[in-house]
Amino acid sequence: MDIKLEFGGGAELLFDNQKQYKITLENKKTPWLIGDLLFWMKDNLLKDRPELFLQNDSVRPGILVLVNDTDWELMDTVRYEIKPNDSILFISTLHGG
Amino acid sequence: MCSVGEGFEDEEGSRMEKAASANWKGGKCNKCRENDPVILLRKKDAYCKACFLAGANHKFKALLGKSKLIHPKDRVLIACETGHPTMSLLHLLRSGLDLNTQKKLRFEPVLVYVEDNYHMSIGERQRIIRSINNETSRLKFPLHLVSFADSINRKNVLISQKSLALNRCDQGKVNAMFDQSINKTNRRQLLHIMKRNILLTVAKQLNCKYIFTPELSMDIASSLLTNIALGRGSQVPDDTGFCDGRDSEVKILRPLRNFDMKELAMYNVFHKLEPVSVNPAQIDQYSSVQDLMSYFIIDLQENYPATITTVVKTGDKLALNQSMIAVQCKLCQSAILRNSKGLSSAESTRFSKLTSNELPDHNVSGPERYLKLTEKSDHSPQERQQYCFSCSKLSRHLLEEI
Repeated sequence: MDIKLEFGGGAELLFDNQKQYKITLENKKTPWLIGDLLFWMKDNLLKDRPELFLQNDSVRPGILVLVNDTDWELMDTVRYEIKPNDSILFISTLHGG
Repeated sequence: MCSVGEGFEDEEGSRMEKAASANWKGGKCNKCRENDPVILLRKKDAYCKACFLAGANHKFKALLGKSKLIHPKDRVLIACETGHPTMSLLHLLRSGLDLNTQKKLRFEPVLVYVEDNYHMSIGERQRIIRSINNETSRLKFPLHLVSFADSINRKNVLISQKSLALNRCDQGKVNAMFDQSINKTNRRQLLHIMKRNILLTVAKQLNCKYIFTPELSMDIASSLLTNIALGRGSQVPDDTGFCDGRDSEVKILRPLRNFDMKELAMYNVFHKLEPVSVNPAQIDQYSSVQDLMSYFIIDLQENYPATITTVVKTGDKLALNQSMIAVQCKLCQSAILRNSKGLSSAESTRFSKLTSNELPDHNVSGPERYLKLTEKSDHSPQERQQYCFSCSKLSRHLLEEI
């Protein structure tokens, strides 16, 4: 399943300063939830300081997630079932400095 | 270990509304009831894109309009920073200025970026200045640059238009202002006051009567609690209200104080704006009162979405009795109050310190000892003539130099 990941607001700094990733998720028996994707990202994309992106089983407070331009809080957050060609955007709102 | 208050949630969980997960049950936009929502605010209110953006615009203009402070053609200094709030503020201004209707904004914004990233590498600092420059020129605003390190305690500040000479010694220059032993809390207080003073100086040089700063509801709530914790309670109305009128010529306004971060970040996403971002620093929340308060607020807000509004709205009810103001603090311009009949908490603390350090003289009677003490207290040197209570505790070394 091919999907697109996008980063903004500084979240890209945690992912090699790259704003877009086209990734392919291998088929598995259960559906891919965003919760599963977060762990996949931690293992495959996140280079260092995972605590700046993840906390417990979700993203850290201060990171907003949009699925196809819609707030993930309207889509059951980590339990959203990813569909092919979905575009998932992560926006950091953390104060830098 | 203190166990007071433990377990109150089990017994009286109904006192605060807890929203650990979203409460949204599905349906259409809360406002137009037609379109599918794209954003959920306060974990319960869903809006479609059009209604959300119109609402944000309205909220911004309503606060400015309600104050009735700014007149057409007034010059307003916009204090730019990195991050989402500044980006949204600039876009809100640009779309307001470009309107052709009655609701057009009619003042003249003057953008200023005070560069204070002296703890970063020169390359990173240049990148930030370049990005801010790019974003502001994309919105057709000219940008003025000011170096924080070179402007501290200056009566005249160098304002450059295109580029800023960055210096490796900037950090040293700033550090030289402080006692080596100063703690992070006091250091941050001083930096906050210095930045405010620099903005005021720049505003006067550029003939601006107003300054817009991009503080959000979250910043307001944490600085409100910080001020109270640091003995700056009387400054709360000026330091966190919509208008800071401490300076007689220039007023500081906070037009974003009713917005939360999610609203502005989503505003930027929907308008395809990319804010200037810096790598978030690892912060130890216990290292200063300011860090602890903002951690406390943000952490509580996660589970209790009414936290920030409750703190901000409570703060809005606080006001200073104007007839009590004697003089202004030399450093932060806040009011030093006239001696009232009753002792203020600062005076009580001082009196208590005095009595505890006295050896009791048993040759005189109790009431006489009391009289002697109060007399002594009345005649002890008044530290607070030039500086407010909190500033007088900041840094002796610095206060002597100013």
